[in-house]
Amino acid sequence: MPAVQTKSISCPNCGGPVQLRGFAHTLTVVCPQCSSILDASTPEVQILQKFEQKTQITPTIPLGSRGKIGGTQYEVIGFQIRQVAEGEDNYTWNEYLLFNPYHGFRYLTEYNGHWNFVHVETALPEQTRARGKVAVRYEGKAYLAFDSMTAQTVYVLGEFPWRVQVGESVACQDFVAPPSMLSAESTGGEITWSLAEYMSGAQIWQAFKLPGSPPRVFGVFANQPSPYGGSIGSAWRTWLWLNVALAALMLFFMFISPGRVAYSDHYAYSQANKGNSAFVTPTFQLKGRESNVELSIHTDLDNNWAYFNFALINDQTGQTFDFAREVSYYHDSDGIEGSRNNSVIIPGVPSGQYYLRVEPEMETNSAFMSYQLELRRNVPNFALFGIAALLLLIPPIVTTFRRGSFEAARWRESDFAASIAKAGASA
Amino acid sequence: MSRIFFVIYGVFLLGLTSMAEYRGWSWNRINQQRVLPKSIRDNPGAYRSSYGGYSRYIGGK
Repeated sequence: MPAVQTKSISCPNCGGPVQLRGFAHTLTVVCPQCSSILDASTPEVQILQKFEQKTQITPTIPLGSRGKIGGTQYEVIGFQIRQVAEGEDNYTWNEYLLFNPYHGFRYLTEYNGHWNFVHVETALPEQTRARGKVAVRYEGKAYLAFDSMTAQTVYVLGEFPWRVQVGESVACQDFVAPPSMLSAESTGGEITWSLAEYMSGAQIWQAFKLPGSPPRVFGVFANQPSPYGGSIGSAWRTWLWLNVALAALMLFFMFISPGRVAYSDHYAYSQANKGNSAFVTPTFQLKGRESNVELSIHTDLDNNWAYFNFALINDQTGQTFDFAREVSYYHDSDGIEGSRNNSVIIPGVPSGQYYLRVEPEMETNSAFMSYQLELRRNVPNFALFGIAALLLLIPPIVTTFRRGSFEAARWRESDFAASIAKAGASA
Repeated sequence: MSRIFFVIYGVFLLGLTSMAEYRGWSWNRINQQRVLPKSIRDNPGAYRSSYGGYSRYIGGK
């Protein structure tokens, strides 16, 4: 924007100089010295409102600052603070009036570090319902009713294209479709619709080249875009593809780990045979890479238990894998407990010649048990894939939960809090 | 959680699962006792299992 020369008038109250940046558009201007609100629409500047500001408030973006938003340069020419009373609590937000000689007026609003760039709309939204809720439709987009309030102007500074008054009230209604928000302000039977686009403090600071860093953001604003927006679908799509890859891996390992039988034999155990029950099997070869070995025990136990101490011993090196398994099987008219079979996977067994030391035990006075031992090499361990599948669920679940928490925080501030939180979360 | 992070996490998990599967890892607690004397083969009763003498199952219907 070329350098714009400002017009200057004298305040009829205090005589101080008052600059006009909005030219013919300016209807009222606030004297920066005495805070009187002046009528700037006629050459005879009149005092509209004498206002003793107890404290002089300095806007975060000084009047006269220029910044480029959406490729257009604007100058800050007015500032007001508006207030909403809710019970005993008062909430205030700041509004900056921006002006460009070719594009007219825009507004910047700021509440708790959340910024919105606002443009007054001339077309009217139409009443509708979306997701079962009250909404308005504007330019093909549905905006959900968020809240309604009465806002009062409590502080003004600079110049305005309307007859601004401290104490004036307007009824407001907000409809949101993040990052946009439609607001209706009605006063004296006239309704003005404006469209706001959410902006971050960093964007504002960059646009106006302000020193320091923007104020800290508190809470979630009505039309603040969710940082997880769109990420839920993406996360679940990624999860799907990773599961496809996991399934392909599982098929691959089923192919290269066929689980060939390395040793198998049948045995019998009787408590009647006194002495040590331990014995060793003949040697057998475990071939291939260092991999697992699965030992399966199949018994004919009936309302009894057996305990097996095992040692898988490398015949050459003496390396021993020591483990134990219990088998118990009970049944009566109430049902079945346990199983006649059990198995164990021994991890990381190098290739070589091995034998198995077996030491079965049973309850004293038990009659007889016959059992089969079977050793398989390279057995696919599906439990590992199951664990991987569960761990893959964590990111999409966390993303979904965080999105839901964000939307819940947004709608907690709404007049339609509980009823619509779900709709927002599923958006 | 960004998609990139998820992809890295997922690929790492798939790699870890593949390695675990290839090396035959398992959650089972297996005691390895190295350098066992060859005499065990001739006298298996002389060997004392790490699990021998532990409390046994006392349940059942």
